[in-house]
Amino acid sequence: MSDRYPSDLASVLRMNGAAILARASVRMVAAFRERSWMIGDTVFPVLVMATFVLVYRGLGAPPAYEAFVVLGGAMIAYWNNVLWSMASQFFWEKEQGQLQLYLITPVSRMSILLGMALGGMVMTTTRSVVIIAAGLLLFHIPLPLDRVPAALGLFTLTLASLYGLGMILSSVFFRWGREAWYTATLFQEPIYLLSGFYFPVSALGNVVATVAALVPITLGLDGIRQVLYGELAHGLLPVGWIPPILLVLLALYLFLAHRALTAMEELGKREGRLTIRGG
Amino acid sequence: MRRTWETIRTGAWIGWQVEANWADPILFLAYAIAKPLATTMILFLMVRVVSQDAANAAAFHQLFIGNTFFLYVTEVLIGISWAVFRDREDYETLKYIYTAPIRFLPYLLGRGLTKIATASLGVAVALLFGATVLGVPLRLEGWHAAQLVGATVVGLVGSAWIGVALAGISLVVARHSMNLNEGLGGLFYLLSGAVFPIDVLPAWAQKISLSLPFTYWLELLRRILTGEPYSGVLGGTSDGALWLILGVSTIATIVGGYLWFGACEWFARARGLIDWKSNY
Repeated sequence: MSDRYPSDLASVLRMNGAAILARASVRMVAAFRERSWMIGDTVFPVLVMATFVLVYRGLGAPPAYEAFVVLGGAMIAYWNNVLWSMASQFFWEKEQGQLQLYLITPVSRMSILLGMALGGMVMTTTRSVVIIAAGLLLFHIPLPLDRVPAALGLFTLTLASLYGLGMILSSVFFRWGREAWYTATLFQEPIYLLSGFYFPVSALGNVVATVAALVPITLGLDGIRQVLYGELAHGLLPVGWIPPILLVLLALYLFLAHRALTAMEELGKREGRLTIRGG
Repeated sequence: MRRTWETIRTGAWIGWQVEANWADPILFLAYAIAKPLATTMILFLMVRVVSQDAANAAAFHQLFIGNTFFLYVTEVLIGISWAVFRDREDYETLKYIYTAPIRFLPYLLGRGLTKIATASLGVAVALLFGATVLGVPLRLEGWHAAQLVGATVVGLVGSAWIGVALAGISLVVARHSMNLNEGLGGLFYLLSGAVFPIDVLPAWAQKISLSLPFTYWLELLRRILTGEPYSGVLGGTSDGALWLILGVSTIATIVGGYLWFGACEWFARARGLIDWKSNY
């Protein structure tokens, strides 16, 4: 038994590292294998982004607002990835009968989720790059290149916290059946609203915006807009506060995800909700 | 005829079970109204952050109406085509429908009725929210209400038959092509000027926009509810002309959708695609 399942730290790390790579590679291969997905994931979000850019254009808003929409559209791709390809992924796996295969492996559930996250980030980044390129080429949005490195730093921190939240959500979705699909839908447009994907989040008012800041993308997007467009971004918090808050959220979400995944798996086993029930 | 009606009714009932029996009524209500209310608030705040003057308030009223009624297009159009994938691949019941003594098209239209019902709930709540909370003035009295119902029904029939045409495509393509149908919804949202005047589109896109029935439908609804035209491009088109264009394009959509669906259905049966399972 001990020969097959080594318990020393190096072996455990190697095994979990392999699981992360394996899960990430499946996602990356899948993302680039199906051409219709690539069209769906790149061209069609551009249409939605273009629609909201034209709303501002129709209202005669300054070009910076059009840039807010483009950045928001790029970040929406990550939120949708977290929601549909991470939080609800265990539900899809359950539907296809693969969840039990994950559960009988000796790797951490968080390694599987981290693999999904990394693979998903690669897939989603192609979509986001296309959205930003379309914003630059079709709508000529202003983008101060000298501020991009700082914005990218904040973006990386935002993604780390966001996928930490995704791990918590996946633990909740663990036990759900068909309602998982509908619940993911419920988290879509309302979060577009609360996170200020298409307008400065400060417009929601301090109380609502502060609650919305529990979703890391809210603060991250607010900070990125402030870095790139300064006062025009109508920031919610001083930009210097945002990285430490995101770091705290990252640590908190990873801790909670670990606890929640263990608890939900146990509960799911006891209630017999980890496989599809007939009838 | 009686059997057709029974098939439609049964399709609607099954559709309702698929849509609604996963949750208690309160949660289902939240699900049905979350999207329209959230997008309404997004547009409201977008207008508010730009300016708060009266001109933009009027612009918001027009955006609000276009966005609210476009919910019908996305729900009905995508919902009908999605039903094919759900039945064929998730529930694996499509082959049983084809072996029963009924036709698939009326069943599909029944599934569309469920979508119309849930979309109507969202539209009604959004209109109520707009009128009472956001102060959008809507002309809903007497003759305007009758016109609104008439225009809504005509637009819904057109949307449903475009959905049938997409369902035909769904019969002959793999499940993962579903995002093409969803993308078409996004394309219509952009090109029909649901949330901006089509005047801001480039000239080539305006031509495409003017070939879509939704463009005329939304313009007509805006005029009925606010009394004001919205699009400058359609400024010279009378209300009567809008009705005529909408009516003719709806008839053309029904005929085209029926023929197209029939052709796709024949192809799917000839190629053995009715029990195709393509999800992975």
